[in-house]
Amino acid sequence: MAEYYDELLKLCGFADDEIEKERPRIEKTFRKLELGPEDMKTAEKWVRQNHDVELMGVRKLLWIWLKELIDLVLAKDEGKRLLYYGFPTIAGPASVVAAASEDVYCVCPDAVLCYTMGQIFNKLTPILEAGEENGLPAGHGLCSLLQIRVGGMVKGIIPVPDMVITSSYNCDMGSKADELLHQRYGHPAVYVDGSMDSRWGEFPNYLPQRADYLGGQLEKVFDKAKEILGVEVTAEARSEGATRNRELTGALRQLLELMKEADPQPISIVDVEVARRLTSGSAGRRIATDGPNIIAALNQEIKDRMDRGIGVVEKGAPRVIICMAHFSDPSTTHMMEDCGLSIPATLHALFAARIFKTTPFISGEILAKEQLERGPFHGSCGEITRAAEAVQEFNADGVIWNYSFNCRPIALTSHLLKQFVEKETGIPVLSLEFDWYDSRSYSAAALRTKVETFAEMLRARKASAKV
Amino acid sequence: MEAMHKLSAHLKTRLLDLSKAKEGGRKIVGYTPGGYLPEELVLASGAIPIGLVRGGDHSMVELAGAYICRWIDTFCRAQIGYGVSGEDPYYNIVDLLVVPMTDNHSRAVMDVLDYNTDIEIFPFGVPHTKDNLALNYYLHGITRLKTRLEHLTGVEVTAPKLSEAINLCNRERELLREISLMRKSQPAPISSRDFVALNHGSFLADKQVMVDVLESVYKELKERGLPSDEGPRILLTGSTLALGDSKVLDLTEEAGGVIVIEEFAEGIRPYWESVKPDGDLMKALADCYFMRRVPPAWFRPDIERLDFLVKLAKDFNVSGVIWYQLMYRESYKTESYYFPDILERETGLPMLTVESDYDPAEVGPLRTRIETFIETIRR
Repeated sequence: MAEYYDELLKLCGFADDEIEKERPRIEKTFRKLELGPEDMKTAEKWVRQNHDVELMGVRKLLWIWLKELIDLVLAKDEGKRLLYYGFPTIAGPASVVAAASEDVYCVCPDAVLCYTMGQIFNKLTPILEAGEENGLPAGHGLCSLLQIRVGGMVKGIIPVPDMVITSSYNCDMGSKADELLHQRYGHPAVYVDGSMDSRWGEFPNYLPQRADYLGGQLEKVFDKAKEILGVEVTAEARSEGATRNRELTGALRQLLELMKEADPQPISIVDVEVARRLTSGSAGRRIATDGPNIIAALNQEIKDRMDRGIGVVEKGAPRVIICMAHFSDPSTTHMMEDCGLSIPATLHALFAARIFKTTPFISGEILAKEQLERGPFHGSCGEITRAAEAVQEFNADGVIWNYSFNCRPIALTSHLLKQFVEKETGIPVLSLEFDWYDSRSYSAAALRTKVETFAEMLRARKASAKV
Repeated sequence: MEAMHKLSAHLKTRLLDLSKAKEGGRKIVGYTPGGYLPEELVLASGAIPIGLVRGGDHSMVELAGAYICRWIDTFCRAQIGYGVSGEDPYYNIVDLLVVPMTDNHSRAVMDVLDYNTDIEIFPFGVPHTKDNLALNYYLHGITRLKTRLEHLTGVEVTAPKLSEAINLCNRERELLREISLMRKSQPAPISSRDFVALNHGSFLADKQVMVDVLESVYKELKERGLPSDEGPRILLTGSTLALGDSKVLDLTEEAGGVIVIEEFAEGIRPYWESVKPDGDLMKALADCYFMRRVPPAWFRPDIERLDFLVKLAKDFNVSGVIWYQLMYRESYKTESYYFPDILERETGLPMLTVESDYDPAEVGPLRTRIETFIETIRR
């Protein structure tokens, strides 16, 4: 018999028989999340407004995130051991541990909550508020993604993990939030450290000792996985982890290549980012097995739209590169496209889709070298230089540097990126203060005037260039 | 105290002395004052180390707004203001600015000044966790620094020179430690204001002059009697206590409280450990400055520092803790949420958290909060 949530799940790519089969798990999950019939109505409207559900690829992307949500919420009840990691992430170690054991579920829980409770249910605020009330108060520039992690755990939505990988190679906040949670729940943490001590102008070069240090720290995860979780990380698991990452990255790269070629822009950057986040939001087995196929199917649909000249913004619209799309509130990102801007890529999607020559297996050393080459974990110069390269690669007319105010590694580039990219490329940059995870203060309405003005300026600039 | 006057007089002419030294070919090496730069290396290379410890000035924080968003630690934004404006003459005189890279806030200082000024910057990484990999990385960083200093000054840092510098710096630390420990007695023989002035002075003064001053202060304190009465004893801790940022010291004193011990990441020179001057001296520096240093809040895990705070609270027999953090230093803000529970559990003491953006408008509310806290613990 149909239930109040069936329509939403079908909209999100669930098949009828799958709903029937999964009903007990779905209902248990929704009870824990306090999601009732009214929430389903809100979600249906929200999904239709913000996601391109004409495309089966997009619906399956929502499907895979919902399945991750169910797995996450029920993990402990179903006897899984849980390994959490956090953002900004180097995804490799979790992929390897996931490949090494089917009993361990490896996931970034805050990302899963963003892509489901935010992107699908538009019901993230109570979780954010719980985070604010339990150690990460508003008004202090604290990371809202971590407020979601704290809020989710305090509310009992996400289980206490058996082990957490917490990093300090880029962000100072993640490990502090994990320590706050450790004080409360006592779960063990593995600290993966690094140092971003390169000088301006040093990129892409780096001291070999930096890679050695970061690589050695990443390798610690495997020792700790054995010690704490009893998971033996074999050579096969290292190889399997690399294969999983490579397949996802390859599919994403193809998606971004299509976005680069297309005019008009065939799908919203919102849905591109929903796909992109599969590379880092969870290392669940399903992500590895189904993720590349879903993105490949989406790519086929995009090609079809390109052949038919269908777009979500006007052909010839000014092209802008943005830093990242909103994790949880798609309306904030859509607002930029509604202002008449084409967004073929986010800078951080390009980082994620960077293909390296050979990654036959995962080791700390390989991951460290890849990350330093990518840019953002090298330092501000790496991040900003890659932004200037992306402008050239995508023939962009502008950049909206929507830095998250509460993400220090990015916020510290608030002015530097604009200075550098405008100087090096001659392309205008809007430095836009943003919050990637929480849109209560940085809503689409609050930001629209600035973006509209920038869009108008880009259109005028483009028009004058034609004269 | 006579010695304090001597220090004050020395600092008044310090810039002039540095200018003359520079004209005479000496190099001036500035550094961010988080306690991770071994001054011994600078001294052994023949250069003069200067800790850029000034803060407390809101106009510099505002000025930094043209170069970076506001969500960076107040002290670090002030350093950007001083660096780009030239308002702090010490920034103008340095030949090299060394930035031991601790967290993203110190990285912000390095990146913005590197891009926007002609100041020559040398960063080296301070790992955030203690293990052999981290120790080796720190050791590699200070070894690179040694090479850079030798290149800058043209002077080889030999073992005898380094040993001599270590002895001098050890003496400075020992004296600061001895003077600080005298405050275990009740009443404390030296005010926090004076102790902090000595500590801040040590970032700027000629090292030998500073040691002489500290010797004199120590002798004077031993000889003179203790003050007659004392208010509630306070442990003051936090992210940064800069030269020029005295409002919490002032307000606590005015409210009748007595700060008897300070623990800060920046602005207060770490003096609890000395370098063991034997064996490989570079390793000895890394051992003291990194492995045995009680780390700040941005370290992982945090327990070493929190245990140390509890120990200080017990050893110095305080009645309460004032946690003074600067805006947007997220590691301190987060710890300020759960440390009161640890403190209460281990000592039964209360804690007051106060926060600053160096804005003069903060003084009124701060006064009310500190007065209330002191009044509460006095009862």
